[in-house]
Amino acid sequence: MKELIAILQKELIHIYRDKVSLFLVLAMPLVLILLFGFTISTEIRNAKISVCDLAQDAQSKALIDAFRASGYFKIVHFPQNPNEINHDFKEKQIKAGIIIPAHFGSQLLSDKESQIQVISDISDINVASVLNNYIESVVSHFEEEVNESGHYSDNPIQVSIQMLYNPELNSVYMFVPGIITLIMIIITALMSSITLARETETNTMRMMLITPVKKIYIVVGKVIPYMGLSLLSTIMILGISVWVFKMPIEGNIFLLLLLCIIFMFTAASFGLLVSSISNTQLDAMMITMMGLFLPTVLLSGFLFPLDNMPFIFQILADIFPAKWFILAIKDVMIKGAGIADIWHYILILAVMSVVLLRFSMSQIDKRRKQ
Amino acid sequence: MSIIQVENLTKKFKKLTALSELNFEVQKGEIFGIIGPDGAGKSTLFNILATLTLPTSGTITVLDHDILKQYKQIRKEIGYLPGTFSLYPDLTVQENLTFFATMYGSGIKENLPMIMPIWRQISPFKNREAGKLSGGMKQKLALCCALIHRPKILLLDEPTTGVDPVSRKEFWDLLDKIREYQVTVVVSTPYMDEVGRCDRIALMQDGRFITVDTPESIIKNYKGDLYAIKTSQLFKLLDIMPQFQEKCSYYPYGEYFHISFYHDTKHAKNSFLQFLKQHEIEFEKMEHISPLLEDCFIEIIKEDRNV
Repeated sequence: MKELIAILQKELIHIYRDKVSLFLVLAMPLVLILLFGFTISTEIRNAKISVCDLAQDAQSKALIDAFRASGYFKIVHFPQNPNEINHDFKEKQIKAGIIIPAHFGSQLLSDKESQIQVISDISDINVASVLNNYIESVVSHFEEEVNESGHYSDNPIQVSIQMLYNPELNSVYMFVPGIITLIMIIITALMSSITLARETETNTMRMMLITPVKKIYIVVGKVIPYMGLSLLSTIMILGISVWVFKMPIEGNIFLLLLLCIIFMFTAASFGLLVSSISNTQLDAMMITMMGLFLPTVLLSGFLFPLDNMPFIFQILADIFPAKWFILAIKDVMIKGAGIADIWHYILILAVMSVVLLRFSMSQIDKRRKQ
Repeated sequence: MSIIQVENLTKKFKKLTALSELNFEVQKGEIFGIIGPDGAGKSTLFNILATLTLPTSGTITVLDHDILKQYKQIRKEIGYLPGTFSLYPDLTVQENLTFFATMYGSGIKENLPMIMPIWRQISPFKNREAGKLSGGMKQKLALCCALIHRPKILLLDEPTTGVDPVSRKEFWDLLDKIREYQVTVVVSTPYMDEVGRCDRIALMQDGRFITVDTPESIIKNYKGDLYAIKTSQLFKLLDIMPQFQEKCSYYPYGEYFHISFYHDTKHAKNSFLQFLKQHEIEFEKMEHISPLLEDCFIEIIKEDRNV
């Protein structure tokens, strides 16, 4: 046991003294989630919209002018009938439709509740959420101007947003499981395969093997710190998703963490396998990148929907663990699935881990015979 | 009492035969030196003795333990210093030593007396990262780490390669001190001046031991009569030597030319002097010298080739 602690300690010193990996482990999850969460939604100008003005009064005209003046929108069509807006999405490629109800002006001036309706295409969630924010800010700005002109209303204008094409806000839900998966792979699989390959490269692995310490202690002692770190990163990502991006976690948080731990074992087994067949850190890095990281990015359904892929890639996607993990984690987070609903995913991941582990152990034994 | 017994050891890597039919014994408490050029198979032999590589065939017994079946017991009793720096460069001297002590399940304090002569030299740097030590210091630290669990056998694979001459001498002085603790040392080196400090030497070539003997009897068994010549026309001399008829062996030795005659030394020497005159080669002096180990090895290797 003392030996295991010594290996753990040594590994933590390695991580702490290697500023690059320390930075990678601590900053990368943060950078990734903020990158996906914020920066992808860039500023949008001249987005095409349609405005259906059912009021046709001075106030509605002023509101339309306010939209025009903002610079964010380009009004391409003024349909007479709200139903025409649906066509505009397809024919005129508008991003949003705005419906100003009849009697808008009189309601606004008579202190009654006034409401405008927004129909938004959120198949691209990032663009849509930015546009919705813009619409809301134009409306509230417009309201302030009305107030300044001497009229004061207790009832602010309600903006009701109706979402089209993607009411579940899928991409928000997509990127959190995706980032957790990537972080797990980078920290658990990549880092632990690199650290094991480094011991081989610098010959220190031989020095450890020659001691009476059990082989399993060496492997466990070297991998556990990275598992701990990736669990920490996962909790960090979940925290940011919940508090910054307001993503709900419907299911049991402990089931979610259990799922993460199981996937961590899968990733660690892959890392072990990679290190057992590579002689240098560079080998380990290349094999993990090509053999696990890229397929995860491309074939997990995280960035590119699997349904649209050719059959052969869909089969390939089944072989890599990431797809199953993402399916399971989404079920727990979004649908609030319990263990009864996702046990088959857990089984798949467990079987994959065992197979990888057995294979890497046989590779390690083969090495000694060479 | 022999502490290491090797019988018919062969090691093949695919088509390459790294070790072929090795037979030798190492006695308790001796320093057993292995000398040979790069690629002779020295490191492979060390890896096998250290239980890190499996032999293709042959029986090896280390401390009465079979190397295939009881390698776990063997590992407790050996200290191994591989040919390349194999400690953690980002750990300090102290941390490296503590780590390896823990891995062997032993403490530093109770074993400190044994490594004291070495530890005294490196302890001023104990908080320095091992990667930032000089070559000699690195090897001294590695020796400390290999000795921290009081092994009965110390395997040193080219411990002084790439180390400056002063540190090399210090390293060997340390080995002499360690002998007080009844440690058996198997050491390889490419340096001729070091093998003289071993109790017995094995000369290795192409995966075989050509000879195994004490330095004294290797020198005693030198057959020829050796002369050293200092000349400024060394290259010309080497060029024309194939024309010389008498049986002899010759080779450049630093700035000297060494020539050894085997039969009827007097006659051979005279005809060699004549030969030099005939080709107008001037020389400062020609001295009869007693052979060094290097001369003996050159002779042994030549003989081995002829056989």
